[in-house]
Amino acid sequence: MSTKATVDLSVQMCGIRFNNPFLLSSSPVSNCAEMIERAYEHGWAGVCYKTLNSDRVEIIHPSPRMNGYDYEGKRLVGLQNVEMTSDRPLRHNLADILYLKKKYPDRKIIVSIMGFSNDEWAFLAKASADHGADMLELNFSCPHMSVEGSGYKVGQSFHLIEKFTTTVKRAVGIPVLAKLTPNITDMTEAAVYAKNGGADGVSAINTVRGISEIGFDDFVARPNVFGRGAVSGLSGPAVKPIGLRFVAEMAQCKELGLPISGMGGIETWVDSLEYLLAGATTLQVTTGIIHYGYRIVEDMIEGLSDWMIARGVGKLTEVIGKAVQNLHETGEFDLQRQGIATYDLDKCVGCGQCHIVCHDAGGQALRWDSATRRPELIEGKCLSCMICSFVCPVPGLIGFTEKPKDWKRLPTPVMDEAEVARVRFEPFTLA
Amino acid sequence: MIADSMHMPKMPKGLSFPEAVLEADRCLLCHDAPCSKGCPADTDPGAFIRKLRLKNVTGAIRTIKKSNILGGACGVLCPTARLCEKECSATGIGQAIRIGAIQRALVEHSWAIGFQALEKAPSRGQKVAVVGSGPAGLACAAELAQAGVQVTVFEERAEAGGVIRYGVPSYRFDEAFLAHELADLAFLGVEIICNTRIEGAEGAGKLLAQGYKAIFLAPGLWKAIELPGGKAPAGVEGSVAFLAGSRQKDRGEQARLVEGRDVAVIGGGSVAIDCAETAKHLGARDVYLVYRRSFAEMPAEPEESFSALREGIHFLVLNTPAGYATDAKGALSGLRLRRCRLGAKDASGRRSPEELPGSDWTLEVGAVIEAIGNGPDSANWSDLAHTDSRGLIVTEAGTGKTSAASVYAGGDISSGPGLVVEAVRDGKAAARAILETLAGGTR
Repeated sequence: MSTKATVDLSVQMCGIRFNNPFLLSSSPVSNCAEMIERAYEHGWAGVCYKTLNSDRVEIIHPSPRMNGYDYEGKRLVGLQNVEMTSDRPLRHNLADILYLKKKYPDRKIIVSIMGFSNDEWAFLAKASADHGADMLELNFSCPHMSVEGSGYKVGQSFHLIEKFTTTVKRAVGIPVLAKLTPNITDMTEAAVYAKNGGADGVSAINTVRGISEIGFDDFVARPNVFGRGAVSGLSGPAVKPIGLRFVAEMAQCKELGLPISGMGGIETWVDSLEYLLAGATTLQVTTGIIHYGYRIVEDMIEGLSDWMIARGVGKLTEVIGKAVQNLHETGEFDLQRQGIATYDLDKCVGCGQCHIVCHDAGGQALRWDSATRRPELIEGKCLSCMICSFVCPVPGLIGFTEKPKDWKRLPTPVMDEAEVARVRFEPFTLA
Repeated sequence: MIADSMHMPKMPKGLSFPEAVLEADRCLLCHDAPCSKGCPADTDPGAFIRKLRLKNVTGAIRTIKKSNILGGACGVLCPTARLCEKECSATGIGQAIRIGAIQRALVEHSWAIGFQALEKAPSRGQKVAVVGSGPAGLACAAELAQAGVQVTVFEERAEAGGVIRYGVPSYRFDEAFLAHELADLAFLGVEIICNTRIEGAEGAGKLLAQGYKAIFLAPGLWKAIELPGGKAPAGVEGSVAFLAGSRQKDRGEQARLVEGRDVAVIGGGSVAIDCAETAKHLGARDVYLVYRRSFAEMPAEPEESFSALREGIHFLVLNTPAGYATDAKGALSGLRLRRCRLGAKDASGRRSPEELPGSDWTLEVGAVIEAIGNGPDSANWSDLAHTDSRGLIVTEAGTGKTSAASVYAGGDISSGPGLVVEAVRDGKAAARAILETLAGGTR
């Protein structure tokens, strides 16, 4: 009857077994062994170690380097950062990786690397593999690189993705992931280039280039680095829909067929399950940890396990990609089937939010009875946009129901029928 | 017949689940949550609120119920303002998080979604008897059952729950709520046998002879302490009988006592407040709460006192009872009172009442309820284990061990009148001690 014993959260990716899908992503949360060790103690199955570089150029971080993006009362809906690769000496990072592998042999280390030339990529790959890396993650996606041929500029130049991946694969025998940037139109194309270069899997998404806030006193985008702002990487719950989209599209892509390490706004077991259903095999987290600490993995594990037990899912691998088959082009929807919103007015508290949005943004399908202070639905005018349900404060009051096949929605009326007669145009026809 | 004027209010609703989520949103998720150090029963609000925040709702419910089988009851009844909420860091920027309210909402949510957080353990093949189905007994039973012990609870009254069924008014904690928490005990396989009184060395001896490896005594304190001065006239009732009666389906006797009459309640604690409010709801005309010190010294929780004031209870502070006035037939006609003023602090740290000579007066009332404290009932435990001068069973701190082998005790019978959550603490502590002994015995 024990909760933990009856479900198996382990996953295999590129032939490597992970105790559970939860990994620290390559970022400030995976900066050194002292931090990663603590994360392991909370239950993280592994780490994407913060991007190594070859010490050729000293890394100095901007100060301050992050900005929290709040929405109404919610803190850290997004996180803006101008973080760079590791600013520690390569020797120290490799020593920490050796330490972690010795002390925690069952946890997996994916080492993120970034070079600026073929030789440098090969050097970093070999150095990492020689010091215990289970896997590599090629950083083709750091969003604040100004040098051409590095970071997200590689991710935007698909031939460079292929070239550097090929170089790394020639240098080492361990599996290699390409970490891709969302700051492009179609990630599957970039991923296929990585595959052609020999990549064993892909990681996505890195941060989305954006501006989260602009100061009104100084007119500087945040973070304000001594009077200067920049377009930089945005992460956190705000980017989850973008991450899910890219992961699902790659999972759908038959030509690709590579396992995916998913990330972008994962904080809870709910987000985790969505990424798994969208096709991710492992899951990476930074912003959630920046918000709540390493401890969140305990709730991801417990919440996911409870869901699996309730759902009768024994192995987590059973759910990976389960939502992909249900993703279609919008043109494939069955438009013959139509429905409308339903109202359980016994629950209504009379705030009128539904009436406001329906009038100003919907189908004007709600009459407001000022005497009873309750809405009244004109079914024929309901567009089934469902925006009323998004603003209704009462759970379960507004639902959706399908109408019979012969049901017809009323057309939107014109204000003055007389004006219709005055409209003059020749109907458009295809030549 | 119960008169139409009688109107017992319903137990107030708690937070809805979405409201609880919003309240949890205010939580600062402290590194070393002070709230988690403030619960006598070791409930961990820091953990369950964080779990709720991170959408791990089932985990949050599990955290509460595994630590406290009466997590819902405590969420309703605990004086949280002086326990978990007292040290809440959020008070540094605003108001304390309403921890008790969130706890109650999570437990109620588990019933709404049908989620059972507790797990039955494989049987250890050992059985333990619990005497009394109040908070201490139930907490002990749950802890033992979760470790695979077969537990039988013996309850003297007709139904289980002890003080949370018979000792608080239904508008504070009702039967439907209690039934849910009892169902969780039933899920764990705990057997509750009602209408069975276990008493003294003979009763305990019989249980041990039946193969119970240990006994946990938690019979509670069910005798209202009477004012000195001999037998009270008709029209005077003790708090225990009055409140227990008000929980019966037929409340006729209690209603007849107070309905349409002016009533005095003697005492300044939570039980006195409950009696005063219950009398009002049962149709009393004017209800006077008589207390010998001032408002500030009243042991009742401040919120309860304010609530009683709002309901129109008259507080007669700085008045001490001096006897009952009776009419020619010997029936109660009033309560003789003597005015007091506050003197020096006494051992309790509160200023003590000093009677003012020649200030006697009579409050004309048709009924009086004495609510000045509870003591052990007629059951004599002194032939079984050491008891103190008040008749309370002497136990070892942290384990509940009594001077009798294999006999443990907890709750009000050993700690004196206390909170539900303190009884839960006692029950859990004794269960842990019993489990240690049981494990030793099988080695």
